[in-house]
Amino acid sequence: MLRLRTPNMSDDGAMSNGSANNSGEGGDTMGEEDPRAALFRERFGLTEARLMAALGDGKKDGCRDGMNLGSRPPPEISTVVDELRPAITPKKPARTIDEDDYGDDDEENDDEDERASPLFSKSAPNPGALALLDPPSLKVPSLPTPSRTAIERTSTPSSEQVKSSDDVRKKLQQDKKAAEDAARRSFQTLFYTLENDRDAMLEQQKLDELDQQVETEMSGQTIVAINNGAVAPAQQGTLSTTNLGASSLTLKHLIARIDAKRNLVHATDAQLRSLISEVRKNRSKWANEDRIGQEELYESMEKVLMELKATEHAHPFLQRVNKREAPDYYTVIKHPMDIGTMMKKLKQLQYKSKKEFVDDLMLIWSNCLTYNRDPAHYLRKKALYMKKETEKLVPLIPDIVVRDRAEVEAEERRMRNGDVDIDGAEDSDDEEPIMASRGRKAPTKGGKGTTTARKAPPAGLEGTPGPESKPSIPSLNNLVSNLKNEFLRADSDASMEVSLNGFSTPPPGTLTPIGLNGTLRSGAPGSQADYSEADGTGNSVSGLTLETEDADLDDLEYKTWKQVTKKDRAQIAAERNRLFRGDHLNIEEPAILRTKAGMRRWLRHRKHALEEDTPEESFSAPDGKDGVEITSSETLAEGIEGETERQVPDYYDPVSAIPDLSDRLKWVTDSEGQVIDQVEEFIRIVPKGYFTSPDSVLTKKMNANMRQMQDTRKICAKIGIVKQMQLQSQMYQNQFQKYDPQPFVEVDIEPLVVSDDGPIMSPYVCRAALQRSVGKIFYHAGFEEFQPSALDAVTDIAGNFFTNLVRTLGAYREAPKIKAEESIVIPTSTSLSWKPRFTREETVLHCLHENGVDLEAIEGYVKEDVDRLGSKLAIMHDRMKSHLAELLRPALDGNAGADGAGAFNDGSEQFVGGDFAEDIDEDFFGFKELGLDKEFGLASLSVPLHLLQNRMHNAFQSQNTSNVSTTGVLMAQPPPYEPVTIRNVTSQIGLVQEWFLAKLRDNNDEPLLEDEDLPVKQRFPKPRLPPTGKISSPRKRPLREQQQMARKKRKLDEGKDDNNTNANGSGSMNGNGVAKGLGKPIGKLKLEMPGQKENQTVAEPEKDDGSAVGMISPESIGAV
Amino acid sequence: MADKDKMAKYRTEIQQMMFVSGETGEPSAETTTLIESIVQQQVQEMLRECTALATRRGSRSISTDDLMMLIRHDKAKISRLRHFLQWKDVRRSVKDNSDDKGGDAGADIGAGEADLATGIVAGSGPAVETGKKAKRAKVDLVWDVQSFFNENVPARDDVEDEEEEEMNYATLQRLKNADERTKNMTREEYVHWSDCRQASFTFRKGKRFKEWAGFGIITDSKPNDDIIDILGFLTFEIVQTLTEEALKVKDAEDLYKKETGGEQNRRKRKRESGLFDPPEEAREPVQPGHVQEAYRRLQRGNNKSRAMLNFTRNIHRSALKLV
Repeated sequence: MLRLRTPNMSDDGAMSNGSANNSGEGGDTMGEEDPRAALFRERFGLTEARLMAALGDGKKDGCRDGMNLGSRPPPEISTVVDELRPAITPKKPARTIDEDDYGDDDEENDDEDERASPLFSKSAPNPGALALLDPPSLKVPSLPTPSRTAIERTSTPSSEQVKSSDDVRKKLQQDKKAAEDAARRSFQTLFYTLENDRDAMLEQQKLDELDQQVETEMSGQTIVAINNGAVAPAQQGTLSTTNLGASSLTLKHLIARIDAKRNLVHATDAQLRSLISEVRKNRSKWANEDRIGQEELYESMEKVLMELKATEHAHPFLQRVNKREAPDYYTVIKHPMDIGTMMKKLKQLQYKSKKEFVDDLMLIWSNCLTYNRDPAHYLRKKALYMKKETEKLVPLIPDIVVRDRAEVEAEERRMRNGDVDIDGAEDSDDEEPIMASRGRKAPTKGGKGTTTARKAPPAGLEGTPGPESKPSIPSLNNLVSNLKNEFLRADSDASMEVSLNGFSTPPPGTLTPIGLNGTLRSGAPGSQADYSEADGTGNSVSGLTLETEDADLDDLEYKTWKQVTKKDRAQIAAERNRLFRGDHLNIEEPAILRTKAGMRRWLRHRKHALEEDTPEESFSAPDGKDGVEITSSETLAEGIEGETERQVPDYYDPVSAIPDLSDRLKWVTDSEGQVIDQVEEFIRIVPKGYFTSPDSVLTKKMNANMRQMQDTRKICAKIGIVKQMQLQSQMYQNQFQKYDPQPFVEVDIEPLVVSDDGPIMSPYVCRAALQRSVGKIFYHAGFEEFQPSALDAVTDIAGNFFTNLVRTLGAYREAPKIKAEESIVIPTSTSLSWKPRFTREETVLHCLHENGVDLEAIEGYVKEDVDRLGSKLAIMHDRMKSHLAELLRPALDGNAGADGAGAFNDGSEQFVGGDFAEDIDEDFFGFKELGLDKEFGLASLSVPLHLLQNRMHNAFQSQNTSNVSTTGVLMAQPPPYEPVTIRNVTSQIGLVQEWFLAKLRDNNDEPLLEDEDLPVKQRFPKPRLPPTGKISSPRKRPLREQQQMARKKRKLDEGKDDNNTNANGSGSMNGNGVAKGLGKPIGKLKLEMPGQKENQTVAEPEKDDGSAVGMISPESIGAV
Repeated sequence: MADKDKMAKYRTEIQQMMFVSGETGEPSAETTTLIESIVQQQVQEMLRECTALATRRGSRSISTDDLMMLIRHDKAKISRLRHFLQWKDVRRSVKDNSDDKGGDAGADIGAGEADLATGIVAGSGPAVETGKKAKRAKVDLVWDVQSFFNENVPARDDVEDEEEEEMNYATLQRLKNADERTKNMTREEYVHWSDCRQASFTFRKGKRFKEWAGFGIITDSKPNDDIIDILGFLTFEIVQTLTEEALKVKDAEDLYKKETGGEQNRRKRKRESGLFDPPEEAREPVQPGHVQEAYRRLQRGNNKSRAMLNFTRNIHRSALKLV
């Protein structure tokens, strides 16, 4: 409860003009308030005051800088409020002086001091009570009244300086902030390539290594230091004296208040301290109770070092110069320095003041400039850049000299003594041993310039002076103090003054003071002298070439970007690199995961970007009602998670990106709370014809061609049937399959509903469509049917080709744009003066060329293979038709007569042959179905269709006979034998007359039919001519068996051939072709063989039918 | 040298062919040897390809169709070849019919084209002409429309063969050039010209040609007569194309030399004798360099052959291109 109240009290005190200072009641009134709110308010008050001070002082700074010893300026007036407040404290005059840095951090510490001092007065002087944070505040108590003027001289200018440097610092910080903001803003407008990430990563790795190295080197010493620190006993004292780090500033009122009412607070110091340290946050690692001012100084120094390390040019300065790289380096450079060493020194707490630190920094650059004398050397550029950077950053470091608490304590006490009895000057000597005896060993870390400067013996006791401790500073201090004849305790101020004079001046002036310093301490060995020398030369050289050397490679924005993002980029790059180290995927490494924080950041960035577009809208406005809560909770969560903001654009963190929800997927409810299904609005039906060939002229032509081919094929089939009829003496049912090709119809896909934009991604449907197209082209190229594997292969190839085509197209489309000439300004966007590298036409032409196609080829294809093919097909169709008509003519004309009755005049062999069967339905052979009836116009004809075959057959035979005879190959037909009848049997020789008569009698006195004249089925099989040409045994086997054997052996074509020869033979036998004769076995085939051979060896141009070239089927020969 | 002589088997033929193709000078032995080796390479490549095709067809011996297949993309050449084959048949039949009459007509292989184009058919009398009309058979390509259907129908006489109608531009240009050159020839010159036109790699040198082209090694040793004739025709075409291209190269080179000054003395001499230019025959014949350049140009492939290799890493090795 106490703890909760105290902030209120202090707060109260601060805000309500000190009236409540004396009474604790003020705290009680506010007791109900949330401690957190109180804290906030306190902070608010503080910042406001600080702001005011900054503004107020900033104006006066300019005029006041020069006059160190000028009269006191009026700023005290502004702080009257504070002056009034500490009425309790007796040291009012000191206060007034002190108050003039009101608004600074220092000032707050002053307050602490004030608070502390009453305590001092009340309670016994506490041994470790004087842990004050800032030297400026230290000054105040240390001011004894008699030496006031002197102190005025020393302290005021210093405080002024502090102020001005503070302003500079602030300004620089602001600038930096602005630059960072600008860079961050540019995240959304510019895309930076990732090419520098690797360098950044490597540099960062080096830096890390450096840090580690420093750490390890340090570890031995730090242990000692810690031990030493642990020695410090817990002392009873004011709270304010406990170094609570940076937070002590924010809590100072609270602390002051507690201190004021210390006796009312029933808690030990340790308790209080732990309480407060619980409350306050992020105490820095530099905090040390025993070293006053260290935390702040080191904090800022470290920051500056980090900053410098992070710059891109810092690389060569990170580590000691290697002797191998520059063998003569250490002969030229006597006092090497590098950032790594500085880090080490920093960690080892070797820096006592800002000056030392800055000297070291400058030493690095001047070393570089000294060693690399060539003005064109690239390192010079870097060094100069770094120097500039340093000069920019140095003002950020507060001018603080680290002092030992013991010392300060002693001072304070002395001062108090001085207050009481004015001569307390010599007391200090007395005091020291006491402190020492108290075992308040100051931390041994680092070379303590001030402490060593003191003549007091504890200096010897207090720790081993570090190797790097600078003797120059004590000597300087001594010098100054001697000059001034001041108290010893004042020498801290003096040294401060000097250092301030030297370094707080604006950057350009830095060099000269150093030079002065150097000359001042002419005898001083060590780096300073060297440095000044080096710098002198370096400066003179660099002065000449400064302009050229300074020329920066990158533009400012890019540089800022690199600077700001370097660390994070390096980190990210390293993360990725770890995954792929050694050129393979390291599965053991932790995966890059998305984090909540990252996602939130991403969202926030987006929101920011959106806001920038619409600046008048407030942050939460676009969120709507529900959005507010979410964001607020988000921000809270952010705070809890303690994420580190990365200074990189979102595309560095792609895993955290959250894709935009499209409108249609938004969760929108109507007034009744029903979810509106927005998808319905986006549903669309795939337009028809998406997967069919477009209705173009070319498609039409190709389709027409294909139809033509189908028609022609139909005729072909009929011709085939007719030819078959001619050749075959007998037909059986369903011998002829009907050839009736269906027209090609491209089937579209079923009506499909989609809710997406863009084409339908359905590989198998697309492939099927392509396959169909390929099939069509196949057919168009004359293949009636084709193997599926061939179709597949060609489809694959075509798909591949088209993929290439489109890829080429894409490549050409995405070629970098070129500047458009003025003439081609796009009206829609006047600012856009870029145009594509290739026009659409060029793109298409290029892409066709790349893939081996040109317009002539395409046009040639259309002309040759589509147009001309069409006409050729038409001609072919006509030819086919007329050929068919010719083939059929013999069946129709002649003695058939108009009504077909004449068809029976030819002896009607059909009846004899038994082929005629009236009881079977009319379309016995399926001729009608085949469409032959229409060819003949049989609808009006009375000839039964089944008669057609015989007629065809006979007509063909007769025709063929004449053909054969005209070739002149055969002998003249012998007159046919008279069939043996009852009448002419007597003319036979007597021996067989008996036998004939018996036969005739068996035959009912009908004429005897023999051999060829027999009906086909009763005939004896014809002896076949073996290859030897000898007829060995004509009738070895029974009829049937032989026939079957023969049929087995024969192929289909041969069979036809056989029939053909049969027909020929019979034709030749029977002359008039009326009767069906017995075919001659060895007829035509044999005779035509030589001709065939001839045809194959010699090209067959003489042939009438035009079938000369190649692969003549036996049928076609037979058809001749 | 002896080796070269042995290699050069067709020196005079090539010279004659080049003369017919437009070369007026006398080409050097190197040129003809170079051309001969190119032609040989081409012929051997053709035979190799044909054999591969025939094998794929399942046949051991190559056919004319295989040869035609090889040059199917060159429409002009195909039409010339068909034309040539048709006339060859005509001549054969004429010879069969009347041995004495058609003797001279059959002898001239190359002249048939020129005769037809220029309309000079007077040499072979009217009787032969009618015979031609009647007997001239169409040489069909296997992949023509005819092959789409499984029935063969006799050609109709009245159908004009349109492919003959639209004689190729290149062919016409060739004939025109020949006509131009023969226009002003004397009788003797023309006789020489027609002698040159008869130059052939194959005609009456069947054995030599077979040996030269690698019959029996690359492919069947007993080729069809037609194949030999077609190859004879094609070799002539190769030489002709090469010569024409080489002449083009040379012309371009001459023009360039003229424009850039060339050699000084030559220019001077040119200027001196403006009116009395050296006769055509005195022109320098094409050099092997020209032939090489011409060959390079003719071998230059298009993107078609490597289109499918785009976006892959495969290296395209272009096959020998048939001229």
